[in-house]
Amino acid sequence: MAQGFLSLILHAHLPYVRHLEHKYSLEEKWFYEALTECYIPLLMHLEKLRDDGVYFRLTFSLSPTLVAMMEDPLLRDRYSHYLERLQHLARLEEERTAGDEAFAPLARMYREHFDAAGAYFHRYGGRLVGAFRKLSEENYLEIITSASTHGYLPLLAVQPESIYAQVANAVSYHTALFGEPPRGIWLPECAYYTGLDEILAELGLQYFITATHGVLYAVPRPKYGVYSPIITPAGVAAFGRDTETSKQVWSAQEGYPGDYDYREFYRDIAYDLPLDYVGPHLHPPGMRTDSGIKYYRITCEGLEYKEPYRPDLALEKAAQHAGNFMFNREQQVKYLASLMGRPPIIVSPYDAELFGHWWFEGPHWLDYLCRKMAYDQATVKLITPGEYLDLGYPLQVASPNPSSWGDKGHNEVWLNGTNDWIYRHLHQAAEEMVALATEYPEADGLLKRALAQAARELMLAQSSDWPFIMNSGTMVEYARQRASGHLVNFRSLLRMIRENKIDGTWLQQLEEYDNIFPHLDYRLFQSLEATLPQEAALI
Amino acid sequence: MTNPQLQFLHSGVSLPQFYGIDRLVILPRDPYSLFAYWEITESTREKLKNEWGDAAWQQAIFQMRVYKHQWGREEQIESFFDIRLQDDSNNWYFHVPDTDRLYHTELGWCTAGGYFRPVLRSNLVRTARDSISDIIDEEWQLPDWKARKLYRRISLYHLSSPEMFRRRKL
Repeated sequence: MAQGFLSLILHAHLPYVRHLEHKYSLEEKWFYEALTECYIPLLMHLEKLRDDGVYFRLTFSLSPTLVAMMEDPLLRDRYSHYLERLQHLARLEEERTAGDEAFAPLARMYREHFDAAGAYFHRYGGRLVGAFRKLSEENYLEIITSASTHGYLPLLAVQPESIYAQVANAVSYHTALFGEPPRGIWLPECAYYTGLDEILAELGLQYFITATHGVLYAVPRPKYGVYSPIITPAGVAAFGRDTETSKQVWSAQEGYPGDYDYREFYRDIAYDLPLDYVGPHLHPPGMRTDSGIKYYRITCEGLEYKEPYRPDLALEKAAQHAGNFMFNREQQVKYLASLMGRPPIIVSPYDAELFGHWWFEGPHWLDYLCRKMAYDQATVKLITPGEYLDLGYPLQVASPNPSSWGDKGHNEVWLNGTNDWIYRHLHQAAEEMVALATEYPEADGLLKRALAQAARELMLAQSSDWPFIMNSGTMVEYARQRASGHLVNFRSLLRMIRENKIDGTWLQQLEEYDNIFPHLDYRLFQSLEATLPQEAALI
Repeated sequence: MTNPQLQFLHSGVSLPQFYGIDRLVILPRDPYSLFAYWEITESTREKLKNEWGDAAWQQAIFQMRVYKHQWGREEQIESFFDIRLQDDSNNWYFHVPDTDRLYHTELGWCTAGGYFRPVLRSNLVRTARDSISDIIDEEWQLPDWKARKLYRRISLYHLSSPEMFRRRKL
């Protein structure tokens, strides 16, 4: 019998970057790259593990914005064309590199990789949600949700209705697509504030994940540190992130992904080859943006000297790293079990986009790890948080500490001089949305559509990605425009509703443009009487 | 490339600078600092100006009073301090003395004689803890030496497992 458990959690999220008005947008490309390099390869590996009869359990949090993009017909269609252009470029590369001992096999590798991605995508009719759902129904995956538009909840909590709507819509959207309600939720950026557990409990969620200090600094002191979940006063389990496993995989310098045999991310043929040759196949055409075809290995520090990528060396290294990771977990579990007197659970959450995009060999590493854990040891067993709760270990009641997994562990990344201006607008809009939803409990027709679109625009503005990007210093203007654009749309709708002059043509265009969550119920924003917002009071 | 019909959807109009609503909101940034933003309408300013008279109003100092609530008796105020603000400011970052505490603030003007007249009150905010709790549930307690080892293991997060094992061998 296993002495302890490992729970690997992959958090998959992208902001809603569907741009109907542009045939080619750089932001939509984030989504296409993630499909080709991360989600499809991961799904293919997981299905192979299943077909080979390997025991494994993984947890995927799929953010509602990402799921909505996966389901969107326009983006599915555009992705097909994107991939076709990439496949064509890969074929040209096979011709160009023919006979070259180092590069021809690499060109073939990419061509096969893109062909396989295309075949996989079409096998599911372009609906990857179906692939995730199947693995979930077969109990290999536990799929959990996140806040609807990945809102940074501690900074939106001035209106608890915003939190309720963000979570309630996520739960119902997930239920509609995956056939059953999610057991757990990935709090965007692992951000927790005191009292959030009450809303989660009310919406039937059984667990969430926090940063290490979310559980470690809980009150009272948690007996088992982060190696057992605690249960909050409202009755929701909180699992704390393990630090050792984070560092081992996560750190670009000290972690596995920085190994010199792995593929170099920053050398792409889009920058190395003449523009008139690569340009027509890039996205947008003619602009030097990453193609995903990268022929070199990291080799050494710096970007000047690079040797050709060697898949055989890289995969050997991925297998070694998987073995090393497993060995360390065995030692960790034995040590912790000896102290705890009950099996520890090690919770290791990662951004799914690390696997395949930044760390090209990541999906292989995960595959090797699952196989090794199934056959080469018996100390540690893979488990999902839901399965762990089902084992029925008594859980200590404690209040998690407000925290996030962002830099410095709290709210600063999302609240500083680069982005703090958005909150007055977000809170004002939320307050007005609550008033509208409360005032019009049974709207229908055009009014109902306008109210639903207002809720959509507000939720899109609430995405944590905008303040995050503003803080990061790149693509800042895009983030500013997205946040303010949705708020401006909200205010236009508000004015039309208040003046009883809804422009049906304009509304319809907006519905087509910002079409997320077609069945969104605006009444989720109705005032929560029991927890009235603590607004500034005029004295 | 671009559908001109849809261009207007996300451009041209900007967000209002003022909403015409008196408001003071505080948000937690980290265990030791908060952020406040506010809007004070012209009518509220005028009201106070009329109440105080021109001379007193000219000398009044715009400030925020930060209240720290008692630990364990959170309806009670333990202490407060004042922050002098620039007259034209509409937001401020400020430090607070204690972690794991409730705070609220008031915004107003102080007379030359030191009398503080609050105009707006904020929401309540709790700061996060920045250390392991001293509060222990006796039913959920490991023996001291085990607890030390367990917590030490977690707090060594600048080390990966292999480094840690090497260090232990030394």
